[in-house]
Amino acid sequence: MRRGAIVRVVVLGVVLGLGATAVAILIPWLPDSASDQAEEVDFVFWFVTAICIAVFSVVASIAVYSVLKFRAPPDDDADGLPIHGHTGIEIAWTVVPFILVSAMGLVSAVALARNEKVPDDAMVVNVVGRQFAWQFMYPPANAPDPGEDTLECDNQSVRARCLTSGQLHLPLRVPVHLRMRADDVIHSFWVPEFRQKQDLLPGEVTTLVITPTKVGQYEVLCTELCGLGHSTMRAAAIVTSPADFAKWKAEAGKQTSGGGNAGQAVFTQNGCSSCHTLKEAKATGTTGPDLDKLPQEAQEAGKPLEAFVRESIVSPDAYVQKGYPAGVMPKTYANLPKEQLDALVQYLVRSSRGGGSR
Amino acid sequence: MTQVDTEHAAHQYAPPAPQRTGWRRWLFGAGWPRAIWMTPLFFCIGTGIVVFFRWLGGYDPIWDSEPIVVVGALTAAPIGFLAGLGAFDYWLYYLSGRPTRAEDHSGHGARYWTDYFRVNTDHKVIGVQYVSTTIFFFLAGGLLAMLVRAELAKPGMQVSDTQTYNQFFSVHASLMIFLFVIPAFAGLANYVLPLMIGAPDMAFPRLNALSYWLLPIAGVMMLSSFLVPGFAAGWTNYVPLSDTQPYGNVFFSMAVQWAGASSIMTALNFLVTIITMRAPGMTFWRMPLLVWANFTTSLLVVLATPFIAGSQFFVMFDRVLHTNFFHVADGGYPLGYQHIFWFYSHPAVYIMILPGFGIISEVISTFSRKPIFGYRLMALSLVAILILGFSVWAHHMFVSGMANWLRVPMMITTLLIAVPTGIKVFSWLATTWGGRIHVTTPMLWAMGFVTMFVIGGLSGIFLGAVPIDIHVSDTYFIVAHIHYVLLGGSLFTIFAGIYYWFPKMTGRMYNERLGKLHFWVTFVAFNITFFPMHIIGVQGAPRRYADLGAEYANWNLVISIASFFLGASFIVFVYNMVVSWIRGPLTTANPWHARTLEWQVSSPPPIFNFDEIPQVVGNPYEYGVPGARHAVMNGDRVGDPENVRAGE
Repeated sequence: MRRGAIVRVVVLGVVLGLGATAVAILIPWLPDSASDQAEEVDFVFWFVTAICIAVFSVVASIAVYSVLKFRAPPDDDADGLPIHGHTGIEIAWTVVPFILVSAMGLVSAVALARNEKVPDDAMVVNVVGRQFAWQFMYPPANAPDPGEDTLECDNQSVRARCLTSGQLHLPLRVPVHLRMRADDVIHSFWVPEFRQKQDLLPGEVTTLVITPTKVGQYEVLCTELCGLGHSTMRAAAIVTSPADFAKWKAEAGKQTSGGGNAGQAVFTQNGCSSCHTLKEAKATGTTGPDLDKLPQEAQEAGKPLEAFVRESIVSPDAYVQKGYPAGVMPKTYANLPKEQLDALVQYLVRSSRGGGSR
Repeated sequence: MTQVDTEHAAHQYAPPAPQRTGWRRWLFGAGWPRAIWMTPLFFCIGTGIVVFFRWLGGYDPIWDSEPIVVVGALTAAPIGFLAGLGAFDYWLYYLSGRPTRAEDHSGHGARYWTDYFRVNTDHKVIGVQYVSTTIFFFLAGGLLAMLVRAELAKPGMQVSDTQTYNQFFSVHASLMIFLFVIPAFAGLANYVLPLMIGAPDMAFPRLNALSYWLLPIAGVMMLSSFLVPGFAAGWTNYVPLSDTQPYGNVFFSMAVQWAGASSIMTALNFLVTIITMRAPGMTFWRMPLLVWANFTTSLLVVLATPFIAGSQFFVMFDRVLHTNFFHVADGGYPLGYQHIFWFYSHPAVYIMILPGFGIISEVISTFSRKPIFGYRLMALSLVAILILGFSVWAHHMFVSGMANWLRVPMMITTLLIAVPTGIKVFSWLATTWGGRIHVTTPMLWAMGFVTMFVIGGLSGIFLGAVPIDIHVSDTYFIVAHIHYVLLGGSLFTIFAGIYYWFPKMTGRMYNERLGKLHFWVTFVAFNITFFPMHIIGVQGAPRRYADLGAEYANWNLVISIASFFLGASFIVFVYNMVVSWIRGPLTTANPWHARTLEWQVSSPPPIFNFDEIPQVVGNPYEYGVPGARHAVMNGDRVGDPENVRAGE
């Protein structure tokens, strides 16, 4: 009788285990793995999954079997067997889980140590998060050591030589050391395909190591609630061959250093497009007011267009467009270098007028 | 309602003669009329204090809405409300030297339904007040969840704007945690714990009444944050985001103080009651596991809750008094907030599950008709969770930017908690093994709890393993995990407890068919709602996004539809409870043939629980042991199996 019960529970457990395994295998759980670090994470993931499936099968099969097998008829008044415990079994279900969690802890600690290691030849990229945009800066190779709590590109003398972008461009197979900080509130950097995540803090630098292994375009997501534009705080992460990366760097460098499109460069590099619509820049954000309607909005505010645009960037709460809450647009754009601010204002005035006349 | 032996009560516990008569008594006596005029009066006093000090200090402007809201509306007005209701009357009389009697029972028991709406010192009335109030806030929190799911059903924004959406989930979580799960357990324990240990009431009945009345204040405060520019920083209320929020944020900060004060008072009350008021013979090793669970939970509450109170005071002081706890520019330390916050909020997870463990132990033992398997290890594992629970807070912060070396030690302690938790799960299963199982509604909820909690526990292992946590933290995987442990976990245990003790509380039986329907609809809808969240979380869907885009549109639609069924299942519950309470069939003292003390008195129990304090002579779960008894009552042999059945 007792042996028969155990056999039936084991059979039930195997069936449930196979079911859970099917759920684990047939559903596409993890996204593409596109970095060395992702491989480590995925190994831990499947290691833990296997153990969890086993534990779940044991528990679920006993629960189901018990309820079906030991069910009493409704008018039954009898008691069950007066079993108070069993020292051997109790020791077993203390020791076995202890061994299992120790194994999972060990595997995790090893993977973590590998993913935390910063290779000596890693390329440094500075990341700045602000409501609700990402900014990526590539410091020059000879930038002085900025110390623990600031970014290379925060140094005034280095700043001008930093390449700035609203997209994260990464060369294939080159380890990248992201050094990050936030401008206003806490943000969090995550690219699911890289499996690496790290909060960005105001006033402190946090770091992350990524070694991309697959060419492609991914998405940087903010994963720490940062205000009402939180879900729009995304940016492209583009992994290309080292040659293409060098080409992009050279071209992007030219754009920043002046020319007709300096204003547009400032617009895209500072992430304006994640919240605003502007046809000229192919921006489609809807968190903030539509910038194609700037002339009309300036009229409503009763101010000349150029002054209105400048004021709205430097001191966003001075006039708030109807239908949009105050206090949303970051105030940190007031810190843009003067020439960049001027270029941005000119660009917005020009392109919104163009938009208005269409 | 409480059974009242009027004559007996009148002789021994006559209330003091009323000092006023007629309209004066109506207006100045403790009660709602006095609360209605005292609340605005205290608001004005609070406002006056702010204005006076701003004038004295030469601040400009003298009228500043934020400090007035904090001091006048959120601090002084509630005190006025409590004073008006009469929550402080006894103590104020005592302080002012007016005649008082320590044995004053004028506010004890419920004779009419209106007695549930006044300051009542009967732990059974307070228990019912607690449970009903928390169910009201559960309904409010659930409706907010429905709004969240309505918004997420389709890509883009349809129902609300993003700020309002952030308010939905912030207030949803705050209500569910602070106004439902934590106080619902406090309410159930309030009702049954003194009965279980053979005590006539809680140790401090007036404090007990006060801790209940703090709750509606906290709840109304959370909800009314919608009336002002709202609270939208998530229930975690991280700085510096909370600092940039409109002043609805202080509604959360202050509501947490009221709810937290309520928690701490109740916990102290439980501790003193359990330590000093056990019936003769009720040693610690003879206490039912529900009492053990509330003993450990109360220790957690007393030690941890001051930390969240502190964290919210710091946030509020930074806003209102311009202190510099967290302002980076002035040398503040934002990560410090997270450490203080989680030093409470991780133990809070156990505050929200250990009492549930207690309920499940009672239910499973009763309906398996078997002693709890490994009783002592069950009690000790609660203590182990209590101790380990204080050493794992930083697992909420693996990606926060805290010191990297903290990650591995916190991972080890986190994973270790799986051991005592596993002991509990295996022991429940072993308790059912070889039993004579009655699959009643409470038992269904209990078995549903065991399986769902195991899934939640296992996803917790994924989150404990740092490399996986780095990938899935702040995604829908977390949302799935917390709903498996808090909904499949805590909520299922609360339902198990409510159905289990419903006949004891009301003297009537609920409708078994509707109870089972409620369970199955909830169980199925719950799994369809939350299991897919594991998948989209691992695939890359971040939580707290007002718009998840087209990528997850299909899953989101499935989840939303299932969640509406989950919401609808609540209607079945409320209907069953209300109708059964009014018209349900009368029940006996011990419809479940249970052995613990609360079942050995009438349903509902007499006003002071026991005519004579019982003598405990054995363990509480001796099913199937010939001749074993838990207690001797009234010199009779009530409590042994022969008499339990004979007495029906």
